[in-house]
Amino acid sequence: MKVELEKSFPLPAPAEAAWALLQDVEAVAGCMPGARITERVDATHYKGTVTVKLGPASMAFRGEVEVKELDATARALRLAGRGMDSTGTSGATMDLHARVEAIDAASCRLVGRSEVSVSGKAATFGGRLMQGVAEQVLQQFVANFAQRLPVVPVGAAGDGAGAPVPPPQRELNGLALAWAMLRDWLRQLFGTRRA
Amino acid sequence: MGDMSELQAREDQLQGMGVSLLRKEDARFIRGQGSYVDDIKLPGMLFGALVRSPYAHARIKGIDKSKALACPGVVAVLTADDLKPVKLHWMPTLGGDVQAVLADQKVCFQLQEVAMVLASDRYAAADGAALVEVDYEELPAIVDPKKSMAADAPVIREDIAEKKDVGHGPRTHPNHIFTWEAGNQAAADAAFAGAAVTVRQEILNPRVHPCPLETCGCVASFSKATGNLTVYLTSQAPHIVRTVLAMLSGIPESKIRVVGGDIGGGFGNKVPVYPGYVVAIVASIVTGVPVKWIESRIDNISTTGFARDYHGIGELAADADGRIKGLRFTALADHGAFNSHVSATKFPAGLFSICTGSYAIPNAYCRVDAVYTNKAPGGVAYRCSLRVTEAVYLIERMIDVLAQKLGIDKAEIRRRNFVQKEQFPYTTSLGWTLDSGDYVPALEKVLKAVDYEGLRREQAEKRAKGELMGIGIATFTEIVGAGPTKACDILGIGLFDSCEIRVHPTGGVIARLGTMSQGQGHATTYAQIIATELGLPASDIVVEEGDTDKAPYGAGTWGSRSTPVAGAAAAKAARKIKDKARQIAAHLLEVGEGDLEWEVDRFTVKGNPGQAKTMKELCMAAHTGNLPEGMEQGLNAVSYYDPPNLTYPFGAYVCVVDVDRFTGEVKVRRFYALDDCGTRINPMIIEGQIHGGLTEAFAVALGQQIPFDENGNHLGNSLMDYFLPTAVETPRWETDHTVTPSPHHPLGAKGVAESPHVGGIPCISNAVIDAFAHLGVTHMDMPHSAWRVWQQCHALGIDRH
Amino acid sequence: MANKHVVSFTLNGKEVDVAVEPRELLIHTLRERLLHTGPHIGCETSHCGACTVDLDGMSVKSCTMLTVQCEGASMVTIEGLEQGGVLHALQQAFHEHHGLQCGYCTPGMITRAYRLLQENPNPSEEEIRYWISGNLCRCTGYQNIVKAVQAAAQKLAAAQPA
Repeated sequence: MKVELEKSFPLPAPAEAAWALLQDVEAVAGCMPGARITERVDATHYKGTVTVKLGPASMAFRGEVEVKELDATARALRLAGRGMDSTGTSGATMDLHARVEAIDAASCRLVGRSEVSVSGKAATFGGRLMQGVAEQVLQQFVANFAQRLPVVPVGAAGDGAGAPVPPPQRELNGLALAWAMLRDWLRQLFGTRRA
Repeated sequence: MGDMSELQAREDQLQGMGVSLLRKEDARFIRGQGSYVDDIKLPGMLFGALVRSPYAHARIKGIDKSKALACPGVVAVLTADDLKPVKLHWMPTLGGDVQAVLADQKVCFQLQEVAMVLASDRYAAADGAALVEVDYEELPAIVDPKKSMAADAPVIREDIAEKKDVGHGPRTHPNHIFTWEAGNQAAADAAFAGAAVTVRQEILNPRVHPCPLETCGCVASFSKATGNLTVYLTSQAPHIVRTVLAMLSGIPESKIRVVGGDIGGGFGNKVPVYPGYVVAIVASIVTGVPVKWIESRIDNISTTGFARDYHGIGELAADADGRIKGLRFTALADHGAFNSHVSATKFPAGLFSICTGSYAIPNAYCRVDAVYTNKAPGGVAYRCSLRVTEAVYLIERMIDVLAQKLGIDKAEIRRRNFVQKEQFPYTTSLGWTLDSGDYVPALEKVLKAVDYEGLRREQAEKRAKGELMGIGIATFTEIVGAGPTKACDILGIGLFDSCEIRVHPTGGVIARLGTMSQGQGHATTYAQIIATELGLPASDIVVEEGDTDKAPYGAGTWGSRSTPVAGAAAAKAARKIKDKARQIAAHLLEVGEGDLEWEVDRFTVKGNPGQAKTMKELCMAAHTGNLPEGMEQGLNAVSYYDPPNLTYPFGAYVCVVDVDRFTGEVKVRRFYALDDCGTRINPMIIEGQIHGGLTEAFAVALGQQIPFDENGNHLGNSLMDYFLPTAVETPRWETDHTVTPSPHHPLGAKGVAESPHVGGIPCISNAVIDAFAHLGVTHMDMPHSAWRVWQQCHALGIDRH
Repeated sequence: MANKHVVSFTLNGKEVDVAVEPRELLIHTLRERLLHTGPHIGCETSHCGACTVDLDGMSVKSCTMLTVQCEGASMVTIEGLEQGGVLHALQQAFHEHHGLQCGYCTPGMITRAYRLLQENPNPSEEEIRYWISGNLCRCTGYQNIVKAVQAAAQKLAAAQPA
């Protein structure tokens, strides 16, 4: 069960600052809701966990992240992750290409292309929800990422195009996620189209 | 000689053959006192929970049991390494292949068994199973059987990669299992070359699952003190399992006891030997206490014997009048990761060559190519009579395709092709000798009952208004009752069956047979056979099956074989007893045996009706000292019956459907089923079987499938998704019958329980497709769910005003 | 030892007490502690209804009920339908109309039908089919089950004082 996402998000910070943050794998993991780096094996290999809560029940994934490519000139990197949940019934892999594009001196764009593949119970029962969930998770990630960037003077924020940056989220809360998805879906049904 | 009413009264008292006798087994079930395997509780019993792979294809780099072993209540964790010392990490399958009991270095299908956690109760076992850590390296999976034999396809079965043959002939690729063919390809090709018209259609029979309400499970109990192994098991074939266990474990077969108690539905799902059983047995041997393993519903749908997954191509060649001159049917068979389903050595594709159906087809060729994929193992199951569902679906679909091509009415084209009554016994061009049949009156009776002409008129009117109404016909011939030991065996064991009868001095009878009921009512029907044969009331006849310590050897109940084989054995054993009783009667009445006549329940002297001995009296007499010279006491007999042929029940079904062109929803308006199973033992039980088989056919045709994504993940393996009809959508079934006895069966009976499934599926499918026939549609693959039927409506542009 | 709670309820007219962990399902308590193996387990997604019991006047799927929720409840299972050696009209009717084959769905099915006839003593065929749609059967195709429920309804109605 594969999900492919291509997204770009405007960020209110200079490209260099965003790129510096992007290379800090532990900080980036910290922006992913529910995720934590637990061990740095070497410069390009890390171990970590992701915890998802669904009401009283929670699911813990444990896995490895590898920085496969790093291009400082292009400000691009490629991360590969793979993990399994603690009960051994679901597995996931991720291949992420991310880069920072400068817009002007005070703003830039975070562009990401990811392919996430899920196996086992998560695929059988969660497969239907995956696209929506992935989009929500990415939105939360970007919000957290933006929050960690150095503060920029008011008024210098981006051109306002795109979705407003949502408030930061630390925990991956399944029910909140489901509500966010429902809200978005309803918005799509009744909202006006944007160019 | 009694008058007719007195004779009738005596016959009524027997409640023998032909009576709708209420079932003897009901008494415990209606009180909730059945004894199913999960009801069994033995002192010290442990519970086993399996750890299963989330990946369809992966290497196992390591297994860490430490956290699981530290969990409260957990006693042990078994992996393949623990089974290696006793060489039980692999086991032979009923299909001549081998299967991993616990995954040895790699897994080949999602949810394959990797380890078993043993604990004091099921909750602790589940806790432990969640703590076993398995390190997997995922491999690319093959899900599409058409890709199994590609040059660059990943090798699934590395364990047999070097083997050129896995029991059924030469292999051409590591993922190839066998190629089997029957008939005369050259003659068929010639018929096609010279034919006035030919039709060709690709036809999928999708993967489905029998899903009996009770899942599979066992309680294994090995006694260190006696060396005896007892296994309570959901098995349709307890004796075969006992023999396989003896071969596997090295425990002498005389020290193994398999007990089939009450089984909550089988439908072919409970024939194979599953890894869970073997691990539970090893666990019991290792721990010295009983071990219970019961699978979950998701485990059942995901890992146990599925059915079908035949990707077929049907071709018929005919003259301008629709008389079929040639048939070519081929199928790519997806067997999953192991060839585990029951198959007779000579028939790895089961009885697929019955695909000439009820028709006299002079030239025929069929071929099945079987391959491995990264899916659960299986293929033969679900009331299929050993691939007969696949065969009959093909021929009944193709004859409709031919009818549409030629513009011939779908009932008429069948009439033109039927094997005629005078031609029986009829040997088909694929080698089966159909024992008896009378297809024309069966079809006519059904067409009359539904007013076929009226229905076609109504259909024409509806079509003119843009409404979709379909009429489906199926005139099928089944092949059941495996079977003659020269042709039919499992792992070399012939498919005979048996009945042992003991008669008591006061007239009671106990009969034990080698079959195994899972709801078919054997305790009642076998008693009825013996009641008529022996002239003793059915209420006095106790029938037992399933305990291999007590019952004579048999191959179990599947493929509708109980009545044709064990029923025959019951009649034969009873007749041996009757012969002995006749001798005793002659001796007591001081006449010659030839002077005696049998009359319902007694022997009378010809011409002197006052002189008689009832069977009841003879029961006592057989235990006294007043017997013919040299005769032993007792009135007992056993018969092992090797049938001379299989039996060929047949039927004519009509189905009327209305399809909503906006939503794709299919409603079955009417279903009329006429079955001919030869002599009918208990009409009430037959009707119940027809209702059940038709309901399962309805499920298959309209909604069941086991889908996978490209990585081998199951996408519908729980009852949230898998369609099991409820009382609301299940149609009302109308049943009817004709009687054409089997000439070679002692009772003329043929077996019937799978016919409604074999015939029901193409009948319903034909009806749905017939609804679109006027729009040029020749075939639609099952399941005909609303979503899929709507897609057809949408493609035709008829789903809008 | 995990925290166990003592739960007391009435089962088929008798008082019972069990000590269970909060997470224990009622079906397991009934089958394994109280040795009432009439209700069966057929799935783990609460679809099949083989576990149906009658609790405080309602049909309940005991696989979706925690035993700790049953404090003080009044529970009836298939084992409680026969009274004084006399079968309930439903049990008799299932037998007379061949409403069972393998018997696995039967306890849940009869227990559900029992509640139906308590609420609606004269149900139509549609109503019967709707009421038992939460109880799956693989063997009978439901046709004879419907007949059995209709027959039982008639018998019970006839037995009522005018």
